[in-house]
This record gives sequence, structure tokens and C-alpha cells, in this order.
Amino acid sequence: MPKFSGRGNRRGFSRSGGTVTVLETRVHRSSARNARVAFILTTIVIALLTMTIASDYMNPVLALLLAAGLGPIVGALVWVVVRIWPVLRVLWWWTPEITSALALVYGWLWFADATDLVVRLIVVAALGGSFAIPPVRRRVWAVVLCLFVRHRLRVCFAQFIIANQSGTLPFILMARPTPVGERVWIYLRPGLDLTYLQASAEKIAVACSAAQTVIERVNPSNAAFLRVDIKRREVLTATVKPGLTDLVGADGTPIDDTTAVIAPSALDLPDVADPAVKAAKPATTRTVPPARPAPGPVFQPTSVTSADGEDVSDLIDF
Amino acid sequence: MKRTTTAPPVGEVPTAFGISTAPDGVPVAPMLSMFDPMFIGIDEFGQAVTLDLVFHNILVGGEPGGGKSGLLNTITAYAAMADNTRLVLFDGKLVELGPWMDIADEFVGPDLEHALSVLRRLQVVINNRYAWLRAQRRRKLDRQDRMSVILVVLDELALYSATYGTKDQREEFDRLLRDVVARGRACGVPVVAATQRPSVDIIPTSLRDLFGYRAAFRCTTINSSDIVLGRDWASQGYSASDIDPENRGMAYLLAETGVPRRIKAAYLNDAEIYQIADYMAWIRRTNTTALSGTAA
Repeated sequence: MPKFSGRGNRRGFSRSGGTVTVLETRVHRSSARNARVAFILTTIVIALLTMTIASDYMNPVLALLLAAGLGPIVGALVWVVVRIWPVLRVLWWWTPEITSALALVYGWLWFADATDLVVRLIVVAALGGSFAIPPVRRRVWAVVLCLFVRHRLRVCFAQFIIANQSGTLPFILMARPTPVGERVWIYLRPGLDLTYLQASAEKIAVACSAAQTVIERVNPSNAAFLRVDIKRREVLTATVKPGLTDLVGADGTPIDDTTAVIAPSALDLPDVADPAVKAAKPATTRTVPPARPAPGPVFQPTSVTSADGEDVSDLIDF
Repeated sequence: MKRTTTAPPVGEVPTAFGISTAPDGVPVAPMLSMFDPMFIGIDEFGQAVTLDLVFHNILVGGEPGGGKSGLLNTITAYAAMADNTRLVLFDGKLVELGPWMDIADEFVGPDLEHALSVLRRLQVVINNRYAWLRAQRRRKLDRQDRMSVILVVLDELALYSATYGTKDQREEFDRLLRDVVARGRACGVPVVAATQRPSVDIIPTSLRDLFGYRAAFRCTTINSSDIVLGRDWASQGYSASDIDPENRGMAYLLAETGVPRRIKAAYLNDAEIYQIADYMAWIRRTNTTALSGTAA
């Protein structure tokens, strides 16, 4: 995107003048400017506060000197934090992975010190074997994908979704597995909106190695709070049960309270004579009324004879 | 959650209540409520889809075999298991809602005069309820009123509005149903109606537009989908004609979100429907033969 390169690079996406370098430069400049502003503001505010409070306990001249010393010190600390904020932010983004890795390494060291080889082998075999159980494997993989898509979304925002002049990215909040993939909540910074993101939904799906991405607003009263659904599977082809049968008896319910239905016997066309239809047709009806065959005698077979002539009535439930 | 208590010995079953046998415990009503969200299926993200049906009317459309009756039976089953809820069922085919005949307060078959009679009664109930609400200085029924919810379910609406009876009867049916749909919502008389294509020759547009919720199952044409969902949703990518014919039960639902969303309606097979219907009939103990016999 040449218009952001600041150098009029006609090759557009070339490595020497590409979008990535420009964005990083903008982020770098933003960080330096923010640090400078934070230093000045913090110094002034801390100095004023210190002078105001200290003047109650000491000579105002001493209070002024104390403020002049304390203000820049605190301002410098804030400057450092703001200046290295891009690094801290990256560490924050990778906190789950870093924490998991540290827990795994130090946990294993502690475990190895506390147990002997046989126990360690049994535990490792049990943990490894649990991954052979499909539900366990699916759960673990779903959590891994949640971590994965948060990074991929961040890449999307940094690479092809232009945010604002300072290059700040949206807040990528919690991610959790869904039956079709993952659901991630994000909070937009100024410069982005739902329509803009929806136009990039296909690109986000590609970046997340998913089939489709659906972006919707979470709260009607807040346009910045969005939900990104990453779809990897289709669930609308499944059969859904309402679960109501779990609330009633499984079987054996007495049917004394149900009405016995008398089934008509005229179930085939030759069984229904023409006069019977005419008799059932109301005189005022213009269209063909529903067939309401007069209740005929209920079919009550008295005997059933098999091919060899044997009466098998007792073997059949009518 | 199955709510049963330990079954007493057979000889100690309280026969005064007409229970002659108990399968595995004393029956306890599931205690669902029409005032709670009703689960009707899942959306395309696998999340549960619920409806606040007690204060809304829903129109269900789609081609035969699309899943309309499945949704109707799920809604009816929930209502049958809900506390203090009455069922008024219209089913010209008799078999779609027939399993609920024993527990329905009114079951209307292929008889338009019966349908008119039931709708007139509902109209009187609605009038009385609004008079009661006015006396209470209120505008809407709520859960604390302990007044029954009367769920009206119509399967194949076209049979009553365009097929059965005389023209005068059909016009009166449309007029009465429009009134029930328009006024019943706030006084606990929600309406669920299903038809294949609710075009103007089947039901008047003024009646169709009163349904706040729409569910469009597979439609044969884009125009049919728009007739069910309303407005010009097909041009915005929401067309029920795109639904795979083999995927029965999938629909576009236009409800609280204001935008149609793809759902898969929950489905009860015949055995499950009769399992629930028999149990609820048993709980209601509509058959007083055993009670009379005991008293004698």
C-alpha cells in the first residue's frame, strides 16, 4: 500500500518499501512520541502533587526541590515502560505459551526430582496414551487452535487491516472453542468498524486456515465490541435433539389416559364407494372437502392362515 | 433432568388419584415454563437457539418435507411439558399434531366450523384477559399472574384459510385469526402457524405481517423465501432456496437478532413424540375411569 510508505514506492509490496516495514516504523514512531509525552506529563503531574503534599510538612523551597527531583524520576520510569511497551505487548501476547513452556519445564524438573524412573515412565505413558482417546485429543487440539487463531488475527490486523495513524491493534480478548471452530471477542480501536472487518472476512478465514469467518456485533450499544466466529466444520447437517425426552419416563408409561383411536378399515380406493364420498360432502362446500370416511367396522381379523394352511393367529399381535 | 421420586410399593400407590400402575416412580411434571427461553435448535456456530415465544407469534414456511412439522412438534412438546400451559391445535392432516390430541384443550381437525368456534372462544378469552389487565392497571401478562398460556398451533394454515369451507367461513377464519395474532401476544395467547407458502392467496398480507418471528425452511424459489421472511432478504444473501434439499430441518430464522440466521431445528421422531405425549397425558390423568372406579 504505497500511500502509507511515505516514499512513493511504485513497486507497492516489494520488501524494500512494503507495508510491513512502514507499519513497524509507524509503531516505532508512535511509541517514541507516546513515551516523550508520557514523560513530560508524568513529570509535571508528579512534581505538582509532590510539591502540594510536601509543602504541608516542610519548607516550600524544600518541597519544590523534592518535587523537582521526584517528578523526573517517576517520569523516567513511565518513559521506560511506554518506550518498551511494544516488547511488553509481545510478551503479553505470548503469555499463555511462555507460561505453559515454563510450567512444563520446571514441572518436569520437579517431577523428575521427586520420583524415580518407573513412575516417570508410567506417567508419561499415561499422558501420551490419553491423547489416543479422541475426546481428549479433540479438547486439547481445540485449546491449541484458540491460541493459534488469536495470533493469526493479530497478524491479520497488522498485515492487511489498516487500523489508525499510530498503528495500534484492536484488543484481542478471550477465545474459546465452539462446535464449529473458535469464537474470539475483540474490542476495536478508533479507525476500524464492523463493515470494514466484514469486507475482510474471507482474508481472515485464509489467515486462520478456516472455511469461513463470520464477524458480528456482540452488544448493540457498543460498536467496538465484536465477535469473530471462525468456522472449520459444518454443524447444520447434524440431527439435533431437544432433550425433552430426558425429562420424561423412558418407557412403560401407562397409556390408560390416552384415547383409543379407532382406525377405519377403508384404506384402499376400492374400499371407498362413490356414494360414501357424496354423502360426506357438505352441500355448501364449493371445494373438495377433506375425505372423512364414515367410521366403518374396525378391521378385526379372526384368523390368519399361513401358506401351508395352518392357523397362525396366535403368533401375530393385531 | 428426570424428576422422579422413589416409587412406593405397588400396593401403596395412591389409587385415589387414578394411578393404577407406576413405571418406575411417581410422575412429576417437568416444570418447564413458557416464560423461559424455549430451545428450538442450534445455529451455524453450534450454539443453542432459543425463542421467547410467549410474547411472540411465529410464522413457519417452506416446501413439503422441509422440516416445518418437526419444528411445530418441538414447540408443541415443550409447551406440553410447560407448567400451566394449554394447547389449542389445528391440524387438518390429523397426524402431525395428532399425538398431542389427548392433552390438547382443543384439537381441530379438518372442520372449519369447529375452527371458527374455537377461534371465537379464544377471542372472548382475549377480550376478558385485556379487561382483567385493565382492571389490574397493566398492559401485559407476566409470569407472576399465574394465568395459563394458551399456545395456538396451526399446521397447514392454508387448509383453513384457503381450502376448507365456504368463502364466508374462510374470510371469517382470517378475520378471527388476525385478531388472535394481533391481540393475543400480550395476554398469553401466542400463535404458531405453518404453511408451505404464505402468499397473499393463502393468507392476507395484513395477517402475515403480524407474525414477529419467521422461520423459512427450504423454499423452491427466492420469491417464496422472501414471502416467508419478509422484506427483501434474498437480495442480501438470506434465501431459503439455497438450503440443501437433503438437509431437512435447516431454516433461516428471523427473530430477536433482526437479521435471519441459519439454524437447524431440533427434531423429535415419532417414538419420542409419543413418549412425551403419553407421559404428559399420564401426568394430567385426563382419564378418570380409574378414579371413578375407586370411588365406587
